[in-house]
Order: sequence, then C-alpha cells, then structure tokens
Amino acid sequence: MDLLHGLAYGLSVSLQPPNLTACFVGVFVGTLIGVLPGIGPVATMSLLLPITFAMSPTASIIMMAGIYYGAMYGGSTTSILVNIPGEAASVVTCIDGYQMARQGRAGPALGISALGSFIAGTFSVLGIMLLAPPLTSVALRFGPPEIFGLLLLGFTMVTYLTAGSKLKAVAMALLGMLLGTVGLDPIAASPRFTYGSVTLGDGLGLVPIIMGLFGISEVLLNIGQGVKQEVFDTRIKGLMPSREDWRRSAGPIARGSVLGFLLGILPGIGAIIPTFISYALEKRIARQPERFGKGAIEGVAGPEAANNAATGGSMIPLLTLGFAPNVVMAVLLGAFLIHGVQPGPLLIKEHPEIFWGVITSMYVGNLMLLVLNLPLIGLWVQLLRVPYGILFPLILLFCVIGVYSESANVWDIVVMLAFGVIGLLMKRFGFEAAPLVLAFVLGRMAEESIRQSLLMSNGRFSILMTRPIATVLITAALIVVALPVIVPPVRRLLRTVPPDDTA
Amino acid sequence: MTGRDRGAAAVLLVFGLIALEEAGRLRFGSLARPGPGFFPVVLAAGFSLVCMGLLVIAARAREADAVSAARLGWPKIGATMAALFVYTLVLESAGFVAATFALLVFFFRALERQRWLVAVASSLVTALVTYLVFKVWLNVQLPAGPWGG
Repeated sequence: MDLLHGLAYGLSVSLQPPNLTACFVGVFVGTLIGVLPGIGPVATMSLLLPITFAMSPTASIIMMAGIYYGAMYGGSTTSILVNIPGEAASVVTCIDGYQMARQGRAGPALGISALGSFIAGTFSVLGIMLLAPPLTSVALRFGPPEIFGLLLLGFTMVTYLTAGSKLKAVAMALLGMLLGTVGLDPIAASPRFTYGSVTLGDGLGLVPIIMGLFGISEVLLNIGQGVKQEVFDTRIKGLMPSREDWRRSAGPIARGSVLGFLLGILPGIGAIIPTFISYALEKRIARQPERFGKGAIEGVAGPEAANNAATGGSMIPLLTLGFAPNVVMAVLLGAFLIHGVQPGPLLIKEHPEIFWGVITSMYVGNLMLLVLNLPLIGLWVQLLRVPYGILFPLILLFCVIGVYSESANVWDIVVMLAFGVIGLLMKRFGFEAAPLVLAFVLGRMAEESIRQSLLMSNGRFSILMTRPIATVLITAALIVVALPVIVPPVRRLLRTVPPDDTA
Repeated sequence: MTGRDRGAAAVLLVFGLIALEEAGRLRFGSLARPGPGFFPVVLAAGFSLVCMGLLVIAARAREADAVSAARLGWPKIGATMAALFVYTLVLESAGFVAATFALLVFFFRALERQRWLVAVASSLVTALVTYLVFKVWLNVQLPAGPWGG
C-alpha cells in the first residue's frame, strides 16, 4: 500500500463515528487533565485503559494517543495563566508565557501555543507517514541480539538524560527490571519471587505501579506541601496572534517542529527534553536574547511546537519496532497488548486499519484540539479555580476505580498505595520514577532477548558484536555511557581556545 | 548528599542484597542455557553494586552541600494513606457506594473542614454519580456490597 492509499484508507477508518468519538473523548480528556496540575497523561491513560476493553483495538489506541497529545495542549494553558506547568513538558512555557500573561498578552500566548502545536503536530504526522514504512523493513531484520542492543541503548539514554544523579537513575532502572521479574519466567514459565501466591504469579501490574508512582504520589506531595492557586485575573481577549507575533514565531515553530520530531524518535527522550533544547536554541540565535524571560513570544512558540512534534516522533519506534521509547509509549504498548495486537514491523501488514487509522486520527485530533482549545480556554480557566481540597479526593477515587476495574482484585489497590508511598519517598530523595517504569515494562523483553541471544550463540556474548545492526546499537549505547566522562574535558579544551581562532 | 542520602542508599542496598539472596535460590543455568535465575541474579547483583556506589558517594559528601527540601505535612499525608488503606480493606465487603461515601466524608469533613451538611451531601452525590457513570454507563467492574451497590 503506498502512502496516498494508506492515507486515504486511514482517513476512512479514523472518520468512522466510533473512532471519531474515541478521538474526541481522548483529546478532550487529555486537555482536561493537562490543565489540571497533579494528574498527567501517564496516570490518565492507565486509568482509562479498562474502559477501552469494550472498544475495538483501533478506537482504544486512538483514544489513548489522543489523551497524550491533548495533555500537551492543555499543559501549556496552566503554564501561561498560572505559572504552574500542567505537564512536565510545559515547564519551559512558564518562563515567557506567564510573563506575556502579566503584560496582558495572555491571549496571543495561548493562541500561538495552540496554533504552533497544531502546525508541529501536523508536521510530525506527515513525518510518521513518510518514515514509518521504510523503517518497518529495517525492523524486520531485528532478531534477539538487535532487540537487546536497542533496549540497552534505550536504557543508557534514559539514564544519561535524567536531570538528577545518573547513578540513582541506573539504580531505578535496575530496580524496575528486578520488579518486572516477579511472576512467571518468560521462557521456562517457572514461578519467581511468588512465594506461593497466585496473585503474584501474574507479576506486579503495570497499571497499579504507574498509578502509584505518578498519580497517588503526586497527590500526596500536593497535600503535604499545600497547593497555591492564583489564577491570573485578566480578561483574555484576542487569541489570534498579530502579524508581528507571527513574524517572530514562524522560525521558532519550524525549528521546534523539526527538532522535536527528530529527538522524539530517539529512545529515552520523550517530550520534555526537546522543549528545553528548543528554548535554548531560540535564545541563542535571537537578535535580542535579553527579551527572553520577559515575555518573548518565541520562547512560547518554539518549545510548544517541539513538545507536540516529539509526541508524534515517539510513536515511530512503537509502531515500527514495538519498542516503547518512553513511559507514555510504554502505556500505549500495554494498550496494544491488552487488545492482543503486537505493535512492530508486522503491524502495518497485519493491522493496516490500526496503523493508518491511528496516524490519521492524530491529524483529525489536532484539528479538534485547535477548535476545542481556542473557544474553551474560558472553561479551563474556571476549572483552575476548583479548590484542591475538592479535587484531590476525586483524583484518588479515580485512581482506585481505575486500578480495581482492570483486575477486580483489591490486591492491586494495595500495590498502588504502596507505590504511592514509594513514589513520594523517591521524589523526596531525588530518585526519578521514569527509568523505573520504563525498565519495568521493557525488562521482560530485555530478559527474553538476552537469553535467546545466548541460546543462539551457545553462551558467547560476542553474538552482540558480530551482527551489524546489533553492533551499531551496542556501540552507540557504550558511547552514551562514556559521554559523562568524555564531554567535560572536551568542553574545557574548547574553552581554552582563544576566541579569535574560533571565528 | 546528607545523612538522608546515606539512609536511602543503605535501605536500597539491604533490599538489593535480600533480592540477590532470593534470586540465588532460583536455577541459574549456564551461559549457554540460562535458567530462570540468570537475569534476576545479574540484576540484583548490579543493583546492589550501584547502591554501594550511592552509599560511598553519600558518605564522602559534606553536610554543608546539602540542599534542604521543603517541609511536608506528614500528618495529613499519613491520614490520607490510612483512610485509603481502610477503604481498600472494606471495599469488597461494604460495596463501592457505601465505602466510597465514608471515604469522601472523611476527606471532606476531617481533612478539609467542610461543614457537615456540605461534606455528607457532596460525598453522597459523588459516590452515586461515579457508580452510575462507571458501573452502569461504562460497564466497569466495581465491587457490589450487601445493598447491591
């Protein structure tokens, strides 16, 4: 099926009423939780996973994806109006977005972030359509050693890119994989760490762990710290950016789209890092960098475009390799598997309706978000005024319902509560949850691939370095491991070069 | 890095060593035929090593470099967790609506100091509405109590 065929076929799928409804519900709920601080797309997608059991696989993946990119849109609204990022990916938007709001330019700030997101979202959908099919043919040559290499690269990237201590991130990744070994061994199916319990035989659930680490712990932290709620009280008028705004934003949006999309494909990046890189880039190449931090519209347009483009980019590894490059994609991978669909190189052949349907639905969803967001901003602002004392019991209740409904097992609620406390302690002691969850999901795949590789090679690790694709991946992983050692001396070396020589 | 970090690293190290000991009971197999214990042993050993590294770093760090974290209201966090735990225990015997109603009354009245009437009324409405939406409309499984809800 060529590209135009695929596109037309995809649109015929995504425009069917059930799928259109799923897309609408997804982006609406996504925007809603994006606006609300303290509950993010990861927890929400896990929460709604059980509801999708009754839906077709296509509709449920469309809805899940919609929540993710919807949350990216919603997150920027709180950043601009309240100076609280609704999502981690909109932290950067606070810097200049909130300053714009204080200068009475909340309207154009919201407008450019919605339009910039739309342009970037559209760009990334086109990118997926062009890149995914050729990558699929490469992916078909992936055997256990290649998969192990890819996973290794993913883990090293995640730890290299964490903000805090790298060693702590490594510890969390190993812990996540260790927790993933509870249950039946994937090859011999013999029980491990189950202590005779039937419930543990199924392993620890992904949903309770995610809801605990990302939902409950966040609520507990907010309860403990007290949330300050100050909605910036101006009437928002004139959402359309002026001609001058557009002139300033066009470059940042274009650069943010390309940057975000390409970075998003890489394992471990997610949507957060591209926003920081985009902001830094715009500030560096700006004619008047001193305007940044004082309400420069470029500082809103670039990062907002980048995080939406990254969302699209990170779908590529999932759709072509069946590999989750970040936590959100890990939940999406879970959604695929629950419906008995294995994403990967065969997806496009075996389930073209899902592959093309989901991709084109992202385009439809972006359009819905644009229509939804601009007029509904007033509603979202009202929502921000709901006191946290009313909000937090509801969030906790939804977490409980979400976890219970998935398995009808009270034990899963206990697991969720336990991970809520663990998550809170992790936040207090500077341990990140993302490497743990990602490793928990991918650990099983890592174990299978390394054990199968060793079976293939009769116990020789050299198999990882004798096949071309695996060699490239493992070498890349080793380079990432070496980066913290290499980068500082190189920087020092560059700094000692006299400025005249660099020109 | 402070005493807090040392404590955290020490607790994780103990966990890692226990995991290593437990993983050691599983059949390790050989490199050519790795058994169920192969991966857990490697992971637990790696985890313990990393925790030792964290412990060494924390021990060598000076107290003066510590960044003090914001104070947390632990009593309120403790009360919330305790309420949720009790809720989980009684959920299946009392049923979703009754248990949820009690939980919300506790949150709204005891933690958030709403007036009794407001707390009871909003809890009742929330419990019923969530039941109707999730169980009746979305067909999600929720525990039914002695009163059918």
